[in-house]
Amino acid sequence: MSISVDEIKWLAKLSKLDFDDERAAAFSGDFDEIVEFADRINSQIAGDTTKIREVGGSEIAFADLRKDEVKESLPVEKVTSNVVSEGGYFTVRRVVK
Amino acid sequence: MTATLKQLSRLLRDKEISSVQLTRKYIEVIENRDPQINSYVTRCFDEALLAAERADKMIARGEAAPLTGIPFALKDNICTDGIETTCCSKILSGFKPYYDATAYKKLKDICAPLLGKTNMDEFAMGSTSETSCFGAPKNPRDLNRVTGGSSGGSAAAVAAGLAPFALGSDTGGSVRQPAAFCGVVGFKPTYGAVSRYGLIAYGSSLDQIGAIALSVEDAAIVFNAVKGEDERDMTSRKCPDIGELTGDIKGMKVGVVSEFFEGLSPEIKGAVERALKGLESCGATICEYSAPSLKSALPVYYIIACAEASSNLGRYDGIRYGFRAQNYSSVDDMIIKTRTQGFGKEVQKRIMLGTYVLSGGYLDAYYKKACLLRESIKEDFNELFERCDILVAPTAPNTAFPLGYTQNNAVEMYLSDMCTVPVNIAGLPAVSLPCGSDKSGLPIGVQIIGSPFNDSTTLNAAHALELCGVSKCKPEKGGVEL
Repeated sequence: MSISVDEIKWLAKLSKLDFDDERAAAFSGDFDEIVEFADRINSQIAGDTTKIREVGGSEIAFADLRKDEVKESLPVEKVTSNVVSEGGYFTVRRVVK
Repeated sequence: MTATLKQLSRLLRDKEISSVQLTRKYIEVIENRDPQINSYVTRCFDEALLAAERADKMIARGEAAPLTGIPFALKDNICTDGIETTCCSKILSGFKPYYDATAYKKLKDICAPLLGKTNMDEFAMGSTSETSCFGAPKNPRDLNRVTGGSSGGSAAAVAAGLAPFALGSDTGGSVRQPAAFCGVVGFKPTYGAVSRYGLIAYGSSLDQIGAIALSVEDAAIVFNAVKGEDERDMTSRKCPDIGELTGDIKGMKVGVVSEFFEGLSPEIKGAVERALKGLESCGATICEYSAPSLKSALPVYYIIACAEASSNLGRYDGIRYGFRAQNYSSVDDMIIKTRTQGFGKEVQKRIMLGTYVLSGGYLDAYYKKACLLRESIKEDFNELFERCDILVAPTAPNTAFPLGYTQNNAVEMYLSDMCTVPVNIAGLPAVSLPCGSDKSGLPIGVQIIGSPFNDSTTLNAAHALELCGVSKCKPEKGGVEL
């Protein structure tokens, strides 16, 4: 199995990462190795996967969920204290002109 | 000599030592010894001494819990209100959480002083702790070797006598494997037994907070202090207290699954077999089984863990946490540059793999098949536990790697998780404890695996190995001695 440079760049775009041609080419060997490793499951099972259950889905019942009640939130000034913020909002560069 | 947590608790209650004095002793050895080991990435000595003062008052009032006044270390992916928590990643540099993880809060509430945050693989992705942006911690048993990972700093701190106990997290063996490499005890409880609230997510269906300590009894005491249902974690469950461990395992059926023993070095196989003989001498019966589904456990684990990681790590956008890239042309450009500059190589690789296995055209071929195989692994374990009480396996197929060795051997590093990941896939409790050493003197770990919520049975069998002399654990010289 070999993953092309274009595929690496497409995956990078989906992952919000930047891979230029040079980096994608250097990465593809490494990535091939890990995909080949993941591909071992295809020697274990083939065909229909429609019977699959959601992971953990059978173990959590609605009765186990907490009541849908409004509780105290974290203080806004604390939540925004780590990054650039103004007036209780996270600040980024102007998007709309 | 090193006191156990039970002995420390008694010394504190009998006023033979104060929590402030005890905490100062640990601070002193950390300052002297940790520059060589690099187990702590953030030290919070002022806060620890304040907590110790509160602990002494609590003890004087007769309100002490078993861990009141006993200092500890915490893996850097467990949130601490106002104390930097970085997951050892540049992308979270400078990030101070605004709330406490539930497990940490439980220790804070009983005034256990937090000495500091420990080194780890970036976002817990690795088996050597070398992907940390703070540089790798070193194994106190041999400073040229890795600690294992990802909770390498926690295991190293305990092994070096720089903390009497530590919390780590275990997604695919990250508490047990470094405990084995550093020659200490590492306990991964049943999935759901300890709240994950405030544990920075890697693979949410696999992640579990666990204890690293110098004995099985100590690990049980830590577990009792942090376990329990939490309304902020819908997967958490009530879990009975671990009572007094007696080590009485007469009549216990111990399962040995052949798939765990494939390709082992004679030294590791021999050490685990000695542990089995030890259990037999305590009255247990050994039964041999096979579980072919375990052969798929490693790829199943990496597919599920990376798929969940690619989603969980989507939140790091440079807007709400820590690091933000400079010189961007748009918000999208800022997010891409932040993530590219902020995440390390291994993390980016796992995000890419996770995105790949979840993307159109590959979802059925990888992720859905991995989930299906996960169910068959769980079913195989269920069947095994109908026939026996516990399973015994090596913790890792190798002892601690030389530093730098796995950097060009990624698949070898993944293969080193072969004995630990099945436990996470099925959400089982398991404890690793030392059972000998290799010809270089490096520790070998044996793993006792139990059925879900039978954490007590699991720890009791491990304690039997301590009582019959198979497992011994002491910190390196240079640590705190009492």
